[in-house]
Amino acid sequence: MEEIVTRQHYSEQEKNDIFNNEFLPHINSMYNFGFRLTLDRDDTKDLVQDTYLKAYRFVESFQKGTNAKAWLFRILKNSFINDYRKKTKEPSKVDYQEVETYYNSEDVNRQITPDLRVESLKDMIGDEISNALNSLDVDFRTVIILCDLEGFKYEEMAKILDIPIGTVRSRLHRARALLKEKLSEYAKTMGYKNTEL
Amino acid sequence: MTPPHNPFILADGKKPTCMEMLQLILDGEATAEQQHYFKVHMDKCMPCFKTYSLDATIKELLQDKCCKDVAPAELIEQIKLQISQNQAG
Ligand SMILES: [Zn+2]
Repeated sequence: MEEIVTRQHYSEQEKNDIFNNEFLPHINSMYNFGFRLTLDRDDTKDLVQDTYLKAYRFVESFQKGTNAKAWLFRILKNSFINDYRKKTKEPSKVDYQEVETYYNSEDVNRQITPDLRVESLKDMIGDEISNALNSLDVDFRTVIILCDLEGFKYEEMAKILDIPIGTVRSRLHRARALLKEKLSEYAKTMGYKNTEL
Repeated sequence: MTPPHNPFILADGKKPTCMEMLQLILDGEATAEQQHYFKVHMDKCMPCFKTYSLDATIKELLQDKCCKDVAPAELIEQIKLQISQNQAG
């Protein structure tokens, strides 16, 4: 499944062209992704800077014209895991075995949050959505960012995260269920009476 | 009469759940055939119908309200500076 990385040979000029034309245009997406992972502005700057310096250093393992954004996201995600996640005391709370079991079980079709309504969502300002997203465990947050905000395909997500597509799908499913739970809590505190239709 | 072929059924013959189908549709991962099948299915399946509009709304909200930050100019300058210093050194 793993692709063989063929090293390219680029001149200094080509390296700079790739960096300026293929890498730098993604800086805003990278900055947002970094912030959603670290939830800290200073850490975000460091993380994004590290990512770009690594991207430049390893530019010869990038093939011109291929998906630069996915390639950069993968570097940022790995830097985050290796350099930043270690710093946090709390280990990941996600039990993936449990996620898989959940996804494959019969009650997947059961409505998890039947009380969340489209109308109450429409009245939410950005903060509730943003806070709900930030409250999720980082692994769940990540799949929502990649899929819903950045529009990556499952196959690209699998490569960025180094997980099988089936896991992308189940994690995404679980992440959305958790996000809906959060949003319905907000909807309740906003004073909506979410009675069944 | 045989029921219409379900294009979501995978090679292993496992029948997909509503939520599995819905997710592929929502994320733009479904084929044209699957989209057509789901459209017909959703007309008869209330949970799918309700969940679809809810999930699609959340997806839109996320796109509208989150991740609209612009990277600070000084960060971009800093990165460019570091690169040029590395080249020189
Ligand atoms: Zn259904």
